[in-house]
Amino acid sequence: MITRFITDVTTRFNPFSPRAKAARLFLTRLPPGARASGMNIATQLLPRTSTEPSSLHIKFKDGKEMKIDCETMNIKNIVEEVDRHSRALQKADDMAS
Amino acid sequence: MHARLRCSAVRGLSSAVKASRIYRPVASQLPCAPIVSVSTRQYASAAAPSQLTVPKDYVPPTQPPTARPADVRKAQLLRSYTSLLRSTPLMLVFQHNNLTATEWAAIRRELRIALAEVPAGSDGVDISPAIGLQVIRTRIFDIALKIVEFFDPSKVEPTLATTLTGKRVKTVYNHDLSEAAYKAVKEATKDGLAEAKPSAYTELAPLLVGPLAVLTFPTVSPAHLAAALKVLAPSPPAFPAPPRKKYPGYYDPVAQNGLQKLLLVGGRVEGKVFDIDGMHWVGSIEGGLDSLRAQLVYMLQSAGLGLTSTLEGAGKSLWLTMESRRSVLEEAEKGPQEAEKTES
Repeated sequence: MITRFITDVTTRFNPFSPRAKAARLFLTRLPPGARASGMNIATQLLPRTSTEPSSLHIKFKDGKEMKIDCETMNIKNIVEEVDRHSRALQKADDMAS
Repeated sequence: MHARLRCSAVRGLSSAVKASRIYRPVASQLPCAPIVSVSTRQYASAAAPSQLTVPKDYVPPTQPPTARPADVRKAQLLRSYTSLLRSTPLMLVFQHNNLTATEWAAIRRELRIALAEVPAGSDGVDISPAIGLQVIRTRIFDIALKIVEFFDPSKVEPTLATTLTGKRVKTVYNHDLSEAAYKAVKEATKDGLAEAKPSAYTELAPLLVGPLAVLTFPTVSPAHLAAALKVLAPSPPAFPAPPRKKYPGYYDPVAQNGLQKLLLVGGRVEGKVFDIDGMHWVGSIEGGLDSLRAQLVYMLQSAGLGLTSTLEGAGKSLWLTMESRRSVLEEAEKGPQEAEKTES
């Protein structure tokens, strides 16, 4: 996954819900030095009784915000969706340099 | 032909596995018995039975030993996990998101320092060296949890097995890698997780996703749990992070980076599954289990005291009434007599 162009990641999930899998796996896709390179990662764990759907907000360097529905999308689809925009940014970045 | 085939199999193995010190004696011992019997055309009954016994270090050519070291073998890992799950009453589950080795080392160091400062329990045993944070293989841990939950080794029926001497004996195969364990787990989870009977496994299973680490305690010690929570998942005001002046290592960027990537997702206390709030509740029990027991004893005693005094009260008041009535009657009886006496 291309993480260079992501500036903010905000997740909220109830770990006891099977639907939280995608959001949790997305966090594991971020590289070890993500915070050091300026990415803001905020995770909020909901209590066990909560029925609130798990959510994932991603902000990119160009200001685009992505609100991803973790309930229906699996991790592959999420990565695909994020990379689709990241690739466009990378292309623009390559052209500029 | 037969012997040659075996020889090549063994030679191929030894070259593949590169553990020649195990296989050389096997290769030298293995074919000798059949070769001798075939070349000299002796009958099997003529050979002495001592020559036909399988050597202790015999390795079947069709089932070669694994080249993996014992501690990372999956079967061994599964057994170590089942033993861990059976022996630990208190376990915290963490998700770790790409921690580096130095970050792990820093976290373990801070955890060790914090746990060492917790005073030993009432029995005088210091459990802090036995508390460990270990990264687990999630899928194998999941299977180990299933075995621990759904398989009861004491209920396995004995089966007939043939010994080397050809005798049929009753044997119980109830280890965690046995067929009985496999069948019990399959039977319990055949209709999917939702249909399985409610247990700690069905509650804990959604947590077992992605890279995980578990912190295991040998006993339920709220004081140690609180110390661990303060280091690994601080949440002021109940569980504040260690003070900066006393623990500068905790505020080391390496340790802080690692802690940011460590996520407490839940835990298991004596077979019951708790979320973070539940773990905070367990950690906030003052004085540990002993104080809980003392509270219970005090409550029962005071309730007993109240009950006896209540039950006694009715009898006492009755007795008091009767006694006062008696004294009144006695006085009334005495009264006229005394009056008579004064008259006479």
